[in-house]
Amino acid sequence: MLKRRRLIFSLLAIAPVIAIFAYVRLFPIGEILRLSLHKWDILSKNKPFIGLANFQELFGDRLFHEALINTSIIAFGVLVITVPLAMVLAALIFYRTRSRFAGFYETTIFIPHVVSLVPAAMAWKWIFDARLGPLNALLSVFGIEPQAWLFDPKLSLISVIILCSWQALGYAVLIYLVGFKNLPKSLYEAAKLDGASGFQSFWHLSIPLLKPISLYVGVATLVSAFNVYAQVYVLASDAQGAPGRQVRVLVLDMLENTFRNYRVGYAASEAVVLLVIVLILTFIQFSLLREKGARK
Amino acid sequence: MKRLITGIAPITFSAAGRAALLTSVLGAGFLAATAGANAQSIRVWSGYPELAPFYEHVAEGMKAEFPDIEVTVEAIALREHERRVALGITSGESAEVLELATSIAARYLENDLLATPPENVASFVADPANFDTFFVDSASYGGAVFGVPLFRGQSALYYNTAMLEAAGLDGPPTTMEEYDTYAEALTQRDGSGNPTVSGWSLRLSGGGAGITEKFWINMFQHGGQVLVPAGEGLWKADLASDAGVAALSQYLDNLHTAKTVTVEMPADAEAFEREQTAMFIRESWVIGDIAAKAPDLTYASTTLPRGSIVNPVQLYVAGEGEQAEAAWAFAMETQKPENLLWLLDNVGWLPNRAGLDYSEILASTPALEAFVSYPDSYEFFSIPAIGPIDEIMTRTAAGLQAAFGNAALAGDEAAIRSYLEGLDSEINALLSREGLLGE
Repeated sequence: MLKRRRLIFSLLAIAPVIAIFAYVRLFPIGEILRLSLHKWDILSKNKPFIGLANFQELFGDRLFHEALINTSIIAFGVLVITVPLAMVLAALIFYRTRSRFAGFYETTIFIPHVVSLVPAAMAWKWIFDARLGPLNALLSVFGIEPQAWLFDPKLSLISVIILCSWQALGYAVLIYLVGFKNLPKSLYEAAKLDGASGFQSFWHLSIPLLKPISLYVGVATLVSAFNVYAQVYVLASDAQGAPGRQVRVLVLDMLENTFRNYRVGYAASEAVVLLVIVLILTFIQFSLLREKGARK
Repeated sequence: MKRLITGIAPITFSAAGRAALLTSVLGAGFLAATAGANAQSIRVWSGYPELAPFYEHVAEGMKAEFPDIEVTVEAIALREHERRVALGITSGESAEVLELATSIAARYLENDLLATPPENVASFVADPANFDTFFVDSASYGGAVFGVPLFRGQSALYYNTAMLEAAGLDGPPTTMEEYDTYAEALTQRDGSGNPTVSGWSLRLSGGGAGITEKFWINMFQHGGQVLVPAGEGLWKADLASDAGVAALSQYLDNLHTAKTVTVEMPADAEAFEREQTAMFIRESWVIGDIAAKAPDLTYASTTLPRGSIVNPVQLYVAGEGEQAEAAWAFAMETQKPENLLWLLDNVGWLPNRAGLDYSEILASTPALEAFVSYPDSYEFFSIPAIGPIDEIMTRTAAGLQAAFGNAALAGDEAAIRSYLEGLDSEINALLSREGLLGE
């Protein structure tokens, strides 16, 4: 009887949270799935059901392909830069905590994560400026020709990757620092007694032990990078006097289809594709973590 | 020189004496329109931040006659404005006064989402003495007036007179061939031959449909258009025509052969104001912008070789009841000749109203002459107000942007035509999807 009461109490206690979650998270996802099967121009009361026609059109849509490829390159580019760099930086910070500059290092790395996105992107826009930017000035010191960072199709992608990585790094380092603090000291002491160098300890102990952290950081970074939008918007479409090359990404394409082309159903089908990608990535994370747990 | 819009019907800018008569007619209209429009608070949504002072000026002028109407002006960038209108109207939270271009308004009118004007407003707009037929049609849907014509985007060539003089050029270019020779002569280069000041600033990059619009204007000078009529209410793409090939060839030659401009160079009004380009094509608002940001710039404007784009913008009303009445009163207040002249003089956008006396403003701002006075043969065109026009413009812009970056296309007419045929196919597929493709 008591057990049943407790169960009812527990269910009642979490019901409001579940209700809010369902309304705020699940309902919009369901609505997107529903809209993706309809043709709707946002203004009309009619939303005719068109089955999978939106998805069929996506397969032949040049701009969608471009957006999908660009977004994937950016997401995996950010992943490749952020995860190893964050781990190395976290290791350096963690093993140098006695330094009087330790706080400064942590703050410096974390600041980009809390800085507002638009002014940060504006600053990077100046850094990447082909004529007046400090990046080209620095390259010229080494005899490298000035580069059109925001106009060349490849360099503009690299510019977005650099900006996104710079922003993602702080959060990743923070998570890794927590991971480093939870590693068992005894293993490192044993390795030291066996004559392992600091690098060897890092390579053979830290990296394997931090695998769950790396998986979490990796997937979180990847999912976040797949939603890239504001960075490319600010870098490319500022004042008319200094426009950059428009790097088409999925979120930008969705917004354009919704509010410029008035094709909400079509944009919803793009959102569904993005959702599927994110779900697959999350599934991979869970699978790998479960595999890790099973070995234990 | 004559002031008119050819191909449609002449707009006659009458003598100043007519203004008094029109004002009294308007006054009667205001009274009828605003019966019951008291103690109302209305919002004005604009897609041009530079127009905020104009609307505030109009609101200020209303206070004496309508002390109880509070007007709030919210002017933001055009693309964001279009988004908020879409969201605002469908959620019932939009402003009462909406500033919309014809092509955008068509979607809302199709869905019966904008208010029908009172009889006095409709008859005021439909009166040929007030507006040319072209502007009446632009403000109408299904033969009925829905908006109050306000201003239009119309292009002309701006050129830096000091740079032309330094290059030994006598007067502005008058043919598209001369645009090329002028661009070469006006380009300033560093020791390595790289351009530091572009001879002719072209719209080469950036987001949105502006790239297509600017290309369309240049293509028009070569004798063609991106979309051409192909039956009753039907269209087809015509980029791969001789005019389209000539226009794209001109872009590519300037970019990759003569190198009078590069994609990463500063461009548009900002570059012109900073003397980073010698020539560029733009609307009349640039004059006000130059006056504010670069008052010492020595420049002039001139008509384009064949003609100009005209993008009419109207004021519409959303909602009903007393608030709608107050909103119509505001829309009509903008039509007072003194307000429209204030608009041209202080902001630079061209009023659509006929019968305005521009003589004083032209005397103080001669650069406006190219926008209100043009040859008899000068032609005008508008971007078709069809549902998928934004999608067509945006997709074409992406294709053109890729072409601009392809140096291999420069000088290869067959390759250019083939590339444009690809873009035509894409546009025609969009038209076909919407049932708008003609033969």
